[in-house]
Amino acid sequence: MTTTERPDLAWLNDVTMTELERNPYRAYERLRAEAPLAYVPVLGSYVASTAEVCREVATSPDFEAVITPAGGRTFGHPAIIGVNGDIHADLRSMVEPALQPVEVDRWIDDLVRPIARRYLERFENDGQAELVAQYCEPVSVRSLGDLLGLQDVESDKLREWFAKLSRSFTNAAVDENGEFANPEGFAEGDQAKAEIRAIVDPLIDRWIEHPDDSAISHWLHDGMPPGQTRDREYIYPTIYVYLLGAMQEPGHGMASTLVGLFSRPEQLEEVVDDPALIPRAISEGLRWTSPIWSATARISTKPVTIAGVDLPEGTPVMLSYGSANHDTGQYEAPSTYDLHRPPLPHLAFGAGNHACAGIYFANHVMRIALEELFEAIPNLERDTREGVEFWGWGFRGPTSLHVTWEV
Amino acid sequence: MAFAVSVGGRRVECAADQTLLDACLRAGVWMPNSCNQGTCGTCKLTVLSGEVDHGASPLDTLTEEERGAGLALACQARPVADVTVGGAPEGRTTHPLRDLTATVLEVSDIARDTRRVLLGLAEPLAFEAGQYVELVVPGSGARRQYSLANTADEDKVLELHVRRVPGGVATDGWLFAGLAAGDTVDATGPFGDFHLPPEAEDDGGPMALIGGGTGLAPLEGIARTALRRHPDRQVLLYHGVRGAADLYDLDRLGELGEEHPNFEFVPVLSDEPDPAYRGGFPTDAFVEDVGSARGWSGWLCGPPPMVEAGVKAFKRRRMAPRHIHREKFTPADAM
Ligand SMILES: Cc1cc2nc3c(=O)[nH]c(=O)nc-3n(C[C@H](O)[C@H](O)[C@H](O)COP(=O)(O)OP(=O)(O)OC[C@H]3O[C@@H](n4cnc5c(N)ncnc54)[C@H](O)[C@@H]3O)c2cc1C
Ligand code: HEM
Ligand code: FES
Repeated sequence: MTTTERPDLAWLNDVTMTELERNPYRAYERLRAEAPLAYVPVLGSYVASTAEVCREVATSPDFEAVITPAGGRTFGHPAIIGVNGDIHADLRSMVEPALQPVEVDRWIDDLVRPIARRYLERFENDGQAELVAQYCEPVSVRSLGDLLGLQDVESDKLREWFAKLSRSFTNAAVDENGEFANPEGFAEGDQAKAEIRAIVDPLIDRWIEHPDDSAISHWLHDGMPPGQTRDREYIYPTIYVYLLGAMQEPGHGMASTLVGLFSRPEQLEEVVDDPALIPRAISEGLRWTSPIWSATARISTKPVTIAGVDLPEGTPVMLSYGSANHDTGQYEAPSTYDLHRPPLPHLAFGAGNHACAGIYFANHVMRIALEELFEAIPNLERDTREGVEFWGWGFRGPTSLHVTWEV
Repeated sequence: MAFAVSVGGRRVECAADQTLLDACLRAGVWMPNSCNQGTCGTCKLTVLSGEVDHGASPLDTLTEEERGAGLALACQARPVADVTVGGAPEGRTTHPLRDLTATVLEVSDIARDTRRVLLGLAEPLAFEAGQYVELVVPGSGARRQYSLANTADEDKVLELHVRRVPGGVATDGWLFAGLAAGDTVDATGPFGDFHLPPEAEDDGGPMALIGGGTGLAPLEGIARTALRRHPDRQVLLYHGVRGAADLYDLDRLGELGEEHPNFEFVPVLSDEPDPAYRGGFPTDAFVEDVGSARGWSGWLCGPPPMVEAGVKAFKRRRMAPRHIHREKFTPADAM
């Protein structure tokens, strides 16, 4: 950081976690312009903010995965997002069978459509609803919960868990000594995990003896010698990965897509009239407000130079996919939702060998949920008496979405 | 070296070392995609003709079986010949398009600036009620579309309802000028997707049909077909016109109402009030009459602004958009 042409990055010292959680775009826009790879003091880490640098780091042979410090404190080891080599290969081989396209195609419609209908039936004749809490999140958690084998855990409980884990996972602020600035911020995550163990341990006990077709039962048994199962301590961190991101993000994705469409009423109309446009609308929604905005990281395995910055071996870099998806080098007017923008690929699902394992499943959950919503309520309007607020730096989406319709 | 990739009626140029996905996205043709590295399967498509090189497509994402069935990952596959690709296989059959030579059997004035034209065919034409044919305007070579008022079994005499457009090549210049019984007319048909689902898929659910002017034509064929399939189904047919002088087929539709107690014909006059009829726009009349159109199907035909208003009215009453069918009488110079 000694080169003289480098812009003065002193402003980064004043960036706070609260500011990033409220609106990360301002700070990251400046980062993209001035220093696409920069050390951000409040995060205690290097940050990649452009599409090019995120992609380079995520796919480079000179980097491997590492979990962020707050993430590691929340999930423990070995979480799939933070391990490499044989352990990563084993965990991917454990989660992937249920998420393969051919497999997902077999049951996704029968799984998600009835769930979506059930939640819609509860409010479709009310003429008003708050879609995040009444629809997007419930459809998201119920679909995955049933897939995992958590049929008996209430949707509201699953929502509570992901919210607590999410805040704990992104409790990233560090002080000048690199210590967690708000250690008490992990308490609610710890409490959620204790509750998860109390509920999931007995299920695991049962699945060990009586395997069934639920995903977690398969995680325990698949690929193991007869009579043996994967150790529960070995799979819990990845269960937490699911109970946070995989539960939360399809809900975020649906809600952001809806808010984006509400900002372009003529595009909403087009999508409602032609459900075949829903996948494209979702793709743009994920670009516009990426649900996993900045939650995963990589670490250099040897000295490297990235975006003109020399990094010693063992330097962690956070991947800000939400920022990369607003890169003006790729997208014109990136902060505008536009169904018809040139349809370039985005980074909302990450890149490289740690890219999201649930893309196909997640895309279909969101698609079916929006199909059912528009089918049941084609005259949906945003309730303009209520504002829409987005929150989050690690994970981002609207906190609520009030809508009305004529009944 | 480049090949042509045809997708959904568009042709895109794709270099031999370029992926199908890249070529399409660059040409502004959207297709589902997410990871762009062959691992998620979102971009899976069917190669209908031609051949691709699957490149680095992983076996996990695209199995041997799927390759054998003609599937490919757009983000990995490169063309080795011109290819045609499609999404999920559709498999709906359509009636073959035919060139027809018809004889005018009858031309009659049925309302203000409105004529019924009956065209006799030598060979019966296979079509679905609600489809249209294209007529060649003699001399000019211009082609104009006219909807069939027939049911599918009325396949030897085609019935058209034509409204005069002042200065119009086909109407003012021909159909309302020299056309007479005995004339020969060149036509092509049938066209269009404005028709009922196959009988086996038709559950007899309630229907709302709104026609503006001669937009009534295909609705007559559709309503009669629907009632023949399910004689007691609820069918509301609105006919929107400017004044009572524009109304026609009142007797025919009145009779249909006598045979089918749940069929209702509602003429609506927008510009020239008459105490015998409803006033206003037919789309507003529908909104007044029907509290909820959940589970209904909707059929809109006529001038584009009326069709647009109808879509809004139907959605306001929560009809599912995929059950809203529309046929716009778009003028030839606006197509
Ligand atoms: C799928 C389809 C089905 C159709 N079915 C029927 C049908 O069943 N019965 C029927 O009468 N028509 C129908 N039409 C419309 C028809 O095809 C012709 O467009 C219409 O008859 C006018 O043709 P023209 O050659 O006389 O006028 P043109 O020479 O094409 O037009 C002359 C001028 O009038 C304008 N114009 C054309 N139509 C209108 C209008 N309706 N209102 C105001 N200005 C207009 C044009 O823009 C142009 O400036 C249908 C159209 C389509 C696309
Ligand atoms: C719209 C919803 C979702 C979005 C936007 C999303 C996005 C992401 C992103 C950005 C990553 C990190 C990638 C990287 O570091 O490069 C990730 C990882 C992951 N996601 Fe998703 N995800 C979603 C839903 C899901 C679902 C529903 C599941 C499972 C059913 C899932 C399973 C995983 C797994 C297992 C990982 C870790 C992969 C690894 O490290 O090897 N995701 N996801
Ligand atoms: S986009 Fe993921 S496999 Fe092609």
